[in-house]
Amino acid sequence: MSVPDRTQAPAPGEIRPFAFPRLERRRLANGLTVIAARAGDLPLVTASLVVDAGAAADPARKAGLANLTALALETGTRSRSAEEVAWAFESLGVEFEAEATWDAASFRITVPAGRLESALELFAEVVRSPVFPEHEVARLRDEQLAHILQRRKEPRALASDMAARFIFAPEVPYARPLVGTTASVEGLTREDVEAFYRTHYLPNVSSLILVGAIDIEEAERLARLYFGDWPRGAAPATDFEVVRAVNQTTVYVVDRPGSVQSEIRIGDVGVERHHPDYFPLLVMNTILGGAFTSRLNLSLRERHGFTYGARSGFAFRRRPGPFIVQVAVATDVTARAVEEALKEISLLRDMGATDEETAAARDYLAGILPLELQTTEQIAARIADIVIFDLPDSYFQDYRATLATVTADDVLRVARTHLRGDRLAIVVIGDADQITEPLRALGVGPVEVHRVE
Amino acid sequence: MLRIPFERFRLDNGLRVILSRDPSAPVVAANLWYGVGSRDERPGRTGFAHLFEHMMFQGSEHVPEMAHFALIEKAGGSLNGSTWLDRTNYFETLPAHYLDLALWLESDRMGWLLPAMTQAKLDNQRDVVKNERRWRVDNQPYGDWDERLQAMMYPPEHPYHHSVIGSMEDLDAASLEDVEQFFRTYYAPNNAVLTLCGDLDTAHALSRVRHWFDEIPPGPPVPPIPGVTEVPPILGSPVRAVVEQDVSLPRVYIGFRIPPYGTPGYYPAAVTAQVLAWGKASLLYRRLVRERRVAQDVAAYAFPFVVGAAMLVIWATARPGVTADALEAELARELATLRDVDSADVERAIHLIEARQLSDLQRVDERADLLSMFTMLFDDPDRINTELDRVRAVTPQAVREFAEAQIVDENRATLQYVPRDGRRGS
Repeated sequence: MSVPDRTQAPAPGEIRPFAFPRLERRRLANGLTVIAARAGDLPLVTASLVVDAGAAADPARKAGLANLTALALETGTRSRSAEEVAWAFESLGVEFEAEATWDAASFRITVPAGRLESALELFAEVVRSPVFPEHEVARLRDEQLAHILQRRKEPRALASDMAARFIFAPEVPYARPLVGTTASVEGLTREDVEAFYRTHYLPNVSSLILVGAIDIEEAERLARLYFGDWPRGAAPATDFEVVRAVNQTTVYVVDRPGSVQSEIRIGDVGVERHHPDYFPLLVMNTILGGAFTSRLNLSLRERHGFTYGARSGFAFRRRPGPFIVQVAVATDVTARAVEEALKEISLLRDMGATDEETAAARDYLAGILPLELQTTEQIAARIADIVIFDLPDSYFQDYRATLATVTADDVLRVARTHLRGDRLAIVVIGDADQITEPLRALGVGPVEVHRVE
Repeated sequence: MLRIPFERFRLDNGLRVILSRDPSAPVVAANLWYGVGSRDERPGRTGFAHLFEHMMFQGSEHVPEMAHFALIEKAGGSLNGSTWLDRTNYFETLPAHYLDLALWLESDRMGWLLPAMTQAKLDNQRDVVKNERRWRVDNQPYGDWDERLQAMMYPPEHPYHHSVIGSMEDLDAASLEDVEQFFRTYYAPNNAVLTLCGDLDTAHALSRVRHWFDEIPPGPPVPPIPGVTEVPPILGSPVRAVVEQDVSLPRVYIGFRIPPYGTPGYYPAAVTAQVLAWGKASLLYRRLVRERRVAQDVAAYAFPFVVGAAMLVIWATARPGVTADALEAELARELATLRDVDSADVERAIHLIEARQLSDLQRVDERADLLSMFTMLFDDPDRINTELDRVRAVTPQAVREFAEAQIVDENRATLQYVPRDGRRGS
């Protein structure tokens, strides 16, 4: 046996190929897209229905409606009560998951292959014939109101809501919480839910994704059987301009008396998912704050000990979502932490990154892709992205090759274009008495103090 | 039924090694369990096992500061560690051709950690961990519930009396000498299990494990868990506490002592937790959330502790307008019905557990962690394949008998959170 050489990292072995599962598509006569991907070696299938019914489609005074509709779907069909629906799924060992994001409503089950047919029949019944019982919709609405109430006391949720509010102009849907506000949700009725459902839940703007122990022939057969007679309709397009709230860097202190930490969000309007700078931005953000060894975390955590963790990210949506740096720091170092974070942003913008850093970020992003594609649920979620953002089916096959083209020059270019220090919303949820003066003394912009209404 | 294949080995220095091949993706998960957790902390040093875990990422004799994270991320891997009452684990998932990198890093910190320790690193990670405590516990609504409930359910001399995160004072008191002593006591191959799972050839993987780990000497025998580890199976008399906090809605936590994880008596408790609150047909969801609308949400969890007694914890958040007392009364009423639980409730719970396990086992990191766990706790990695049988064997009658014995007032710890009166400020 050889003596190990511990003095340097061992060389990697031979790289092994990785292939994203191959997608196969069919389209039914009613416009429903059916996608199948064979994946994994367990007798499991994840079925996911993605509907173009996200919160971006909420009418302005009815924010939270898309979320309420998605959650209310399983509360009763023409032939089953809410409780009967729950029993039917769970007796099969299946959990029905419903979620609304800004761009879509998604419904998902994962089921042993042998029970797929009965589970999918029920799934179709829930999606296609909901009756939205008055008392169930009222209950869910009240739960959503209580959830909104809870978000005011939970510092991370509050910070995220406040950041959205101070980044986007008030008329932009992204300025509001996805779950709505007390004022907008209070007035929601079952008629609103039903109308939203009738308008947006249509096969021609939906995709049925089946991943796991299944092929396209079986997927199409099941889709025809349970969704084939779902009538198509005219789906309205959702369109809006994204406008930023301020054009000058401003500090917004949101008072949370007694906080022992400050939740900091430094944000700007980012870019839409289809932006040509998408890949360079992924690499640039990995260098700034997308991984553990990113600059923000190394500075704020490992060098200064201000925090348990700092990160940054672009929320890529169909329209430009926010770019946000987020970090929770001890109250007494709040202003210093803001200063350090701003320093890292301007350093990357002014000086860019080295070739070595760029390569490390690229390799990280390329390497973790297969780690995040181990389960049928994870693969189905990535295919949902392909659907929602209208990406090519070869997108994930090409992902690593596309990443490999990003250079340090690209990183510098997109940092200069997209990381702007002069129009940031700096939101700090914390004890205003202790943090406002130090933040003023930083002199990065006007400081406003807000209370949670 | 799914069978996870594995082979087990033991090196001369006592390191237990589990190798499990799964070639479905070109990745490998490395997972190390050390047989030390917050239960092993001595008085005045609560939180130390976790602080020590942080120190394990600060470099070792041959691994420069910050290189541990940087090398794995550059390789395209993910990594972390976690500390719990009964163990500390370290894990990384990497592209399979980086297996040696994981083994080099893990062996170096197992064998050569201390030469790299400095006061500056300790002070930095102490600040990080204190901020972790603020983030998880002190600045978070209901964030101290587990700390409070553990203190209510286990006597001061029991190793579960204090929380994993520990107190700020004890974190402040931790010294480099403590780091050295803790390392020499607990971090040795004979107190660890190493599992590799993924796209590997077992003969080759074993030779690489030997290459990197063989020369690490065994440590002294691990000392017994400090304190009094035995507790009566039930509390003896009900305990309760009411906490005023800056929360929007009242919340009630109810804890019961249950038999330790791994013993036959644990499984009816685990099934009971899912009967109560997993899914929208669960007993508490349908009665308290859907029908009577007194709760905003419900949850139940059987904590898998192995020393003396584990705990079953049930909690619910009140809907606006419902008091903590009213919610507690509703919870108590429903818990009483467990004595006549319906067979359908139990079958539903078991079906959900079976399906979840199958889904979880798709991940190599999950497989690796379970193999390490079953080896460390029960010296039986095959429990990854047989544990579900113990769940399936739970009959409705077993749940009723469990409720009769354990879901009783004399075994009940109740913790209420009530919103602080706004006029009193902070």
